[in-house]
Amino acid sequence: MSDTITKGPEAPSDDNGAKGAAKAQKPERVASLWSDALRDLRRNPVFIIGAVLVFCLLVISAVPQLFTDGSPFEGGACDLANSLQRPSAEHWFGFDVQGCDIYTRTVWGARNSVTVGVLTTLTVTVVGSLLGLLAGWKGGIVDSILSRFTEIFFSIPLLLGGMLIMSMLGTGNAYTVSLVMAVLGWPQIFRIMRASVLANKNNDYVMAARALGAGSGRITFRHILPNAIAPVIVVAAISLGVYIGAEAALSYLGIGVQPPQISWGLMISDAQPRFLNAPHVLLFPAAVLSVTVLAFIMLGDAVRDALDPKLR
Amino acid sequence: MGRYVIRRLIQAIPVLIGATLLIYALVHYLPGDPVQALAGEKRADPVVADMIREKYHLNDPFLVQYWNYITGVFQGDLGESLTGRSVSEMIGDAFPYTVNLALVAFVIEAVVGVAAGVMAALRKGKFLDQLVLISTLLVISIPVFVTGFVLQLVLGVKLKNDYGIEIFSVSFNEEDGLRAYLLPAFVLASMSLAYVARLTRTSLMETMRADYVRTAVAKGLKRRRVIGRHALRNALIPIVTFLGADLGGLMGGAVITERIFNIHGIGGLLAQSVYQKQGTIIVGVVTLLVLIYLITTLLVDLLYAVLDPRIRYE
Amino acid sequence: MRGATQTKWIVAATAIALAATACSTSSKSDDKAASGGGSIAVQLGEPQHGLVPQNTAESEGAEVLNALFAGLVEYDNKTNEPKLRVAESIESPDSKVWTIKLKDGYTFHNGEKVTAQSFVDAWNWGANQENAAEGLPFFAKIDGSADLAPGKDKKPTADKLKGLQVVDDKTFTVTLTNPFSQFKTMLGYNAFYPLPKAFFQDQKSFEDAPIGNGPFQMDGKWEHNKQIKVKRFDNFPAADGKAKLQGVTFKIYDNLDTAYNDLRADNIQATDKLPISAMGTVKGEFGDRYIYKPESGVGYIGFPISTNPAAYGKPEIRKAISMAIDRESITKTIFSGTRVPADDFINPLIPGYRKGAMGDAAKYDPAKAKQLFDTAGGVPNNTIELGYNADGGHKEWIEAVANQLKKNLGVEVTTKPFEKFGKILDALGEKQYSGAFRMAWSMDYPSIENYERPIFSKVAIENGSNYGGYVNEQFETLLDQADQAKSPEEGLKLYQQADDVLIQDLPYIPVYTYMSSAAYSKKIKNFDTDAQGRMNLDEVELAG
Repeated sequence: MSDTITKGPEAPSDDNGAKGAAKAQKPERVASLWSDALRDLRRNPVFIIGAVLVFCLLVISAVPQLFTDGSPFEGGACDLANSLQRPSAEHWFGFDVQGCDIYTRTVWGARNSVTVGVLTTLTVTVVGSLLGLLAGWKGGIVDSILSRFTEIFFSIPLLLGGMLIMSMLGTGNAYTVSLVMAVLGWPQIFRIMRASVLANKNNDYVMAARALGAGSGRITFRHILPNAIAPVIVVAAISLGVYIGAEAALSYLGIGVQPPQISWGLMISDAQPRFLNAPHVLLFPAAVLSVTVLAFIMLGDAVRDALDPKLR
Repeated sequence: MGRYVIRRLIQAIPVLIGATLLIYALVHYLPGDPVQALAGEKRADPVVADMIREKYHLNDPFLVQYWNYITGVFQGDLGESLTGRSVSEMIGDAFPYTVNLALVAFVIEAVVGVAAGVMAALRKGKFLDQLVLISTLLVISIPVFVTGFVLQLVLGVKLKNDYGIEIFSVSFNEEDGLRAYLLPAFVLASMSLAYVARLTRTSLMETMRADYVRTAVAKGLKRRRVIGRHALRNALIPIVTFLGADLGGLMGGAVITERIFNIHGIGGLLAQSVYQKQGTIIVGVVTLLVLIYLITTLLVDLLYAVLDPRIRYE
Repeated sequence: MRGATQTKWIVAATAIALAATACSTSSKSDDKAASGGGSIAVQLGEPQHGLVPQNTAESEGAEVLNALFAGLVEYDNKTNEPKLRVAESIESPDSKVWTIKLKDGYTFHNGEKVTAQSFVDAWNWGANQENAAEGLPFFAKIDGSADLAPGKDKKPTADKLKGLQVVDDKTFTVTLTNPFSQFKTMLGYNAFYPLPKAFFQDQKSFEDAPIGNGPFQMDGKWEHNKQIKVKRFDNFPAADGKAKLQGVTFKIYDNLDTAYNDLRADNIQATDKLPISAMGTVKGEFGDRYIYKPESGVGYIGFPISTNPAAYGKPEIRKAISMAIDRESITKTIFSGTRVPADDFINPLIPGYRKGAMGDAAKYDPAKAKQLFDTAGGVPNNTIELGYNADGGHKEWIEAVANQLKKNLGVEVTTKPFEKFGKILDALGEKQYSGAFRMAWSMDYPSIENYERPIFSKVAIENGSNYGGYVNEQFETLLDQADQAKSPEEGLKLYQQADDVLIQDLPYIPVYTYMSSAAYSKKIKNFDTDAQGRMNLDEVELAG
């Protein structure tokens, strides 16, 4: 038993050596990694479905008026007389407690939700990945400073940080919400990217690339990043949906997107108290959110596969 | 390795001082009046309010307040809340519940999450893989508040009233022991479960493609052994990273889960003191959190070296 | 008189002896088997302060104190008129000097007798600003209060209210600075409860384990955030009604939904607060164990009259807003009938309430509202802001009001959530916010005066709930006259005239009054709540 434990990891490092060396012998091939990835993606059905869904979402967010009859912001758009009515032929999703048409609100809420989700995920991923890459690659003092820094950020409660940032910014909208969540969210990606880099930087192909005279920047971006990005993409794709939902928590605290603005997160959280009496009020926006997350998970999976050098 | 650990522990000192100063400043400059927050919907009597401010030195300049606080901390005194309760006592009351809940939740997310991820990876596109995907979507799109209460109603109340089965406590009850933590821990773990399962799936699928795994298979090693000893071990690094960060988060308390199941842990204490702008409590709790993060990240970093011998700390 | 007291005392003593034997036998048998005895658990929120009556101004602490203490007066559960409890008599020839005589037989839980001194010491403590007690404003009417609470940056010049005089063990007099006809009604409020000597010796331990004179005594210490256990006080005078239950555990909840699920599973036996999620189904589930009756609270929409006169300064604008709110459909749809439309500034439970007093100001009439609004010139930027605190379940009705105002007045309406009600006050005070806001009042004692002076008078701008800065001299004069009236009846008429001024001016718009929403399990009977929504725990028994 004990010998297998010590023996286990040795085998991989040997094998990896072979693979790494093979890679390094064909630098031109590695250099065209990103364009290879693009070509791969265009042939991947998972990517195509995901992309179509995301495209639809973007169109709905940009021009919601094309998809509904009325605007939810007009006086009289909501009538308490219709409160909590079930879905019907004219009103596919039914009405919420205020007597507002849920379908209309879902369509008009897309813009804020998609903005918050995409913007936050993008910021968090870019900032977290770059700093994580730096910390993992450089190590030593750079790593120490950046890591201790994230520990402090990790420990700031969302509630406190959110309230503080919002009191500095004043108003609450999709952009400020994204900023709040990005400021408090990047350490997670940072940790994951750093770990991924640590695991990859000692691979022999990296050594080989360095031996061949590749610069630090080139090695990080051409060799380490594509190998290390997979877990980041997975976490980012799920987080996108989580951020859309978390936006509602901030609204509840009075520091998020505020009515009369609409967002899915707000719709879902408003429907909570009456979930057992009127589940449709919660389930329709939740279903749309699910589809959104699914679309991004599909995109993420496809991009990751396309980037993975081991699949070549 | 030993020197590395000592160096990390020494680094903790400036981080702790920096963090307390930062948090103390954040709370201090947060708008709002803590004395009014205590009075609720009626206006605090101006005379009474001023006496309270005087008593707790809220009128002193920021640095004076911080100095008084930090010198107290070094003498082992975390100060008093604005209602006259000792902060160390309040944290001491709340923290054991949070630790228990966090540990149960952590075990659930680590064991179930990794297991589900491995299954999904091995049977890509099959039923289990789809199930993991669908559960992920559900967990993300339906808020904990709803799942928490539905589970509480169905598994707590209905099971007891209709079938006389009491496996899950409706709300937290100390006498129920571990039973009291099961439902809240599951609810709390559900979101991270989704992350862990999907991370495991991806990471394992990726390592399975690595040449050394193919070699191992070619050498005639059993599949189970290849996965367990070779592939999974290497795939664990991002998962361990995620779990490590998450353990810290869990220890910080879960405001919503704690509220649903009436567990009076750190989450509720922290949320309430943020609302009431009770600096001494916030700083006390956050300092503890910084400490926890320092330790968990250190442990995770050490684990890397165990999982992958090529990673070394000198 | 004396003879009567003595007889009572003997009867009480016998009853205590009997009860004591009954108790000792029953305690041997199973807890739940004792007739009507046994123990139950009920819902509570964590009290804000140590359990000192003079330092408690919120409902959760008051709920516990209500079980642990007995006041000079209590309130009839139907009429809300004050009834004597610890007091034998409370009389005054001129509403200025009051003579209070105490009944025999009340002792504190530690055996100390309740005397006139117990009250005087307690009130002196509460009135002294050095003690920073929340109940301080309640002593402001007593002569000498200014010496004990001279204000910010000043030191008290006395430590005893000169208006309080102990005559003998059972008698003391209270001299007020100005006559106040409703003084007797005030005395049921918890700030006027007595305190034992033990409090002054060790205040810290008293806060977690108060020693009162009520039907229940502490059973151990307050376990913060978990529970407060009380048990029957066997030396409580039988004439006042000993508690039937052996013990009550106040189980502390953060969340009403959780408490409600525990009630459904019979893990607790009663709650006097139900969550929104229960409103639709509680009637079907609990039948007549769901208590549905009026409660003393009033919900308003308030206006920052003094800081934003351009928008909300005109009474016509406020009236138009009031008329554009469909109270009927809001209370029915949003609150599932657990609130009722308000039609007076006074709660229907309170002596002096007049049905429909607000007239057409409380009638939903969108056309007239719009006309009135436009003739009065509307509001700047054609925008109304509605602020609310997000922690109290107010979002839905505020959103509904916003939708109605938008539709009926043709204005833009933005709703603004604040984390806590206190933040609205901060923002109004610092002039960061100048919109309308939600606001509610729950009475301290059932007097019509309690719905006027603490909310709308000039002094209430400083230390009350006049957050809008409303001032009307005529209203002030009427209040003073009413205070000084020779009889409560005469006072009542003058308070009603003051009410008429409020209805003219509408400084706040009363929107709804509360219905109590309590429910209890099959295990108990005789459960009820009072006008302040507190449980009558001393009368509750186990069922069967």
